[in-house]
Amino acid sequence: MRIPIRIIGIATAFFWIILIVFSVSAAYSVKDLQFDFGEPQIGITSDNKILFSLPITIINKGYYNIGFFNITTEVSDKEGFTITRGTTFIPIIKKGEGITTTHNATIDVNDLLQSNQNYLFNGTELKILEVVSMRIAEVIPVQASTNLSIAWGAPLYNFTLGEIEYTVSNQTHLRAIIPISFENHAFFDLTGSIQICMYNSTDMLVDEGQTTIEARQNSPYRGYIELYVLTAEMTETGYFEVYFLTPLFSYGPLVIPYG
Amino acid sequence: MVDANKDFKKRLQKITFKALKATLKGVFFYAIYFVLSMFLAPISEIVPGFQQMVETFVMVYIFLIIVGELTSGTIFQHFLNAAKALFVILYLILSLKGGIMGITFQNINLIVDLRLFLIIAMLLSLLGFAKSMLQAINFLNEKTEYSHI
Repeated sequence: MRIPIRIIGIATAFFWIILIVFSVSAAYSVKDLQFDFGEPQIGITSDNKILFSLPITIINKGYYNIGFFNITTEVSDKEGFTITRGTTFIPIIKKGEGITTTHNATIDVNDLLQSNQNYLFNGTELKILEVVSMRIAEVIPVQASTNLSIAWGAPLYNFTLGEIEYTVSNQTHLRAIIPISFENHAFFDLTGSIQICMYNSTDMLVDEGQTTIEARQNSPYRGYIELYVLTAEMTETGYFEVYFLTPLFSYGPLVIPYG
Repeated sequence: MVDANKDFKKRLQKITFKALKATLKGVFFYAIYFVLSMFLAPISEIVPGFQQMVETFVMVYIFLIIVGELTSGTIFQHFLNAAKALFVILYLILSLKGGIMGITFQNINLIVDLRLFLIIAMLLSLLGFAKSMLQAINFLNEKTEYSHI
């Protein structure tokens, strides 16, 4: 019986040594793993979505390969509604090698507006959950996560239609000038057009007009729309229907009463 | 009188040898820990309490090694070896929190899944435990055989 016991002892010791050496060297080699996060960039994709890009360089100088490297970015609003999710996956980073990749996350503003239209007119805070996971030595799963928050600037902050100025155009028509103003607090330039439909108190479309807008990020916009309305159709009160058409989003009607 | 003196000397020699062997084993084990702790230093900087956890384990383990060595040649040695194996299993389960360790470090939550390591370590400890049981059975068996002869 002594021989089997001895064999068990030797085998146990052998596997213990392997386990300890492997665990310690795997843990030690983590310090030789380098992550370099580049400057985050914001752009517009070809299908008119906001694109966040983060260049990442990973240099694995450790003793083992890194497997299943994954970065996930999840952007959600205050209520926890997920606005977007971006994932970058690298199956393997071999030892002694470096990999450069770009982690992308896109935001479709139209989708954003479906959850809450206030994003256009009021600034708010968006939550970002960043998760980085990998398998050290391809067997030990490690996950690091952090919560961040970023300010969402409204592209049409404080959108207002000013006091209408009427001037007589001819015997039958009036020229109505409607001032438009807003501040673009968004991190992107806003270009597109605003269409205004003017209705009188009997819900009759009096006239409609359109103007192009171009507001750089963090700058105010002031403009106006000219309408020619029949004097007979004009009433003291009524409402405007405002439509916004930009490459990033389409929104409307925004109903604003006048008079 | 001479026989008793000789017997005493023999016992003293035996105890001294055991104590020396236990000390050497303890020192050897500590030396291994000392070398490995240098490699684990980066983790100790990140994970609070990691150093203390390992040190407590090493202390108890060395104590069991020494006591086990001092009781060698008796049934207690095998019991202590079995206790050592069980201690490793329980300590690993408790200190590694079931294999999934979570650490919060400057707004970053770090989760390390050590379940595979834990399972292998537990299996090896169980093998050690089984070995100790077999040794105890063998010890009693041999003792009975000798007493019959």
